Amino acid sequence: MQLVAYESRSSVNDTQLITRVVAGDAAAERELYETYVDRIYRLTFRLAGDDELARDFTQATFIRAFEKIGSFRGESSLSTWLHSIGLSVTLNGLRKTKRQRNREAPIEEGITVGFARPEAEPDLKERLARAIDSLAEKYRTVFVMHDVEGYTHEEISEAMSIPIGTSKSHLFQARSKLRVMLADFAPEWVS
Amino acid sequence: MTEDNFEKFVKKTAQSYNTPPVRVPRDEMWAAIQAKRGAGPRVVYGGGASARVTHERRFGTRVWLGAAAAAMLLVATGVGIGRWTASKAAAPVAANPSLPVPPVTVTPDQTSAGTISPTQVATAGAQISRPTVSASAPKRGQTSSTVVGDVRGGQSRVAVVTPRQANSPSSAYQLTAVQYLSETEALLTSFRSRSSADQQMDAQLGTWARQLLTNTRLLLDSPVGDDPQRRPLLQDLELVLVQVVQQLSPGSTPQDRELIEKTLQHDHVMTRLRTAIPAGAQRGS
Repeated sequence: MQLVAYESRSSVNDTQLITRVVAGDAAAERELYETYVDRIYRLTFRLAGDDELARDFTQATFIRAFEKIGSFRGESSLSTWLHSIGLSVTLNGLRKTKRQRNREAPIEEGITVGFARPEAEPDLKERLARAIDSLAEKYRTVFVMHDVEGYTHEEISEAMSIPIGTSKSHLFQARSKLRVMLADFAPEWVS
Repeated sequence: MTEDNFEKFVKKTAQSYNTPPVRVPRDEMWAAIQAKRGAGPRVVYGGGASARVTHERRFGTRVWLGAAAAAMLLVATGVGIGRWTASKAAAPVAANPSLPVPPVTVTPDQTSAGTISPTQVATAGAQISRPTVSASAPKRGQTSSTVVGDVRGGQSRVAVVTPRQANSPSSAYQLTAVQYLSETEALLTSFRSRSSADQQMDAQLGTWARQLLTNTRLLLDSPVGDDPQRRPLLQDLELVLVQVVQQLSPGSTPQDRELIEKTLQHDHVMTRLRTAIPAGAQRGS
């Protein structure tokens, strides 16, 4: 799994890389970018569901990281630090986008957002996607990171700045809600 | 058991949720990052500089919003002054028979040399006893004049109104129009050079574009819009600004931006816009 590959980078490598970036080494910047961009982009895409937004959030993540890397103290791994920036950028960006879209959407359309319509959506994947979309942001984020992208609770807790127990609780809540929303498809998993 | 089954089921099924493309657009994003960092404030590594950079960005935001608000105010004021002065200029002819502001006084001797053209003489109420004043028929290189007259005590008091004054916008309108064109040029230049990654800038540009669109429509309804040279340009700018506003709204596609570029290039809008701004006029920033 990709995550294993990234986490296998030693902290010594990261420290050297950061030192070079802070010193203004352009090649080091590119190396840092190449090392982490796939992971950041994948996560932002999973959360945003849109290529252009995912690109924007990924770019903003690295721009902010390069701006702030001088203040990186190494209290967490570089990967965790980048992911926390990425999550912050993405979730803030999505909130802004949602606010703008809600303002522009007709009232009738706004009312239907988040409500599943079983009779109109027989496709399981489509139903699941809508159900995930309708989850509260904190539940959706933990669910996507853990069950879809394979992050551990430790990584999630560090990236989201929440206790590990809270991460587990959010995942439990997310799954419970999904289970209720997908009750029509119970035979799929009971069997 | 059922819980475990659901966990496996949901993990497997959720893999199709917002599936990212196989190929990550690394190079495109890196190019955008470099462009953005090159265009923005110089990045200074280290915690100490971050506060200054943030302050500069916030100041930049204020400047943009302030410039947009100032442009809006200026155009609205200009149109207002233009309308006010236009109505003042028209008032003596229509309602005031005594012509309170006669710019030129002409004696009968002076007028006798000219060719009387009754069609060019506007009666200014019942006090005008005869069409005593005239203007020469326009010769090549001369400007024809419309004369509004009043005869009292052997003197004719006339107001000479050149076609430029009669048909063209007042200087207030002209000033407003030039300012508006400069602002629009600045906006379009900023829009074309912007990075799609900067949502904050997009929001500012969107606000600015909407204000300029309002100004465009105000100007189209003003005497500036009657100018046969400026009206087509204003109409094209209205179209472009509508497209810009739409492109800066959520849900727009890259095709929208291409459409704007095509409009700008096909109609030579930028060239015409720059040509319409007199040399030495203050460019919008």
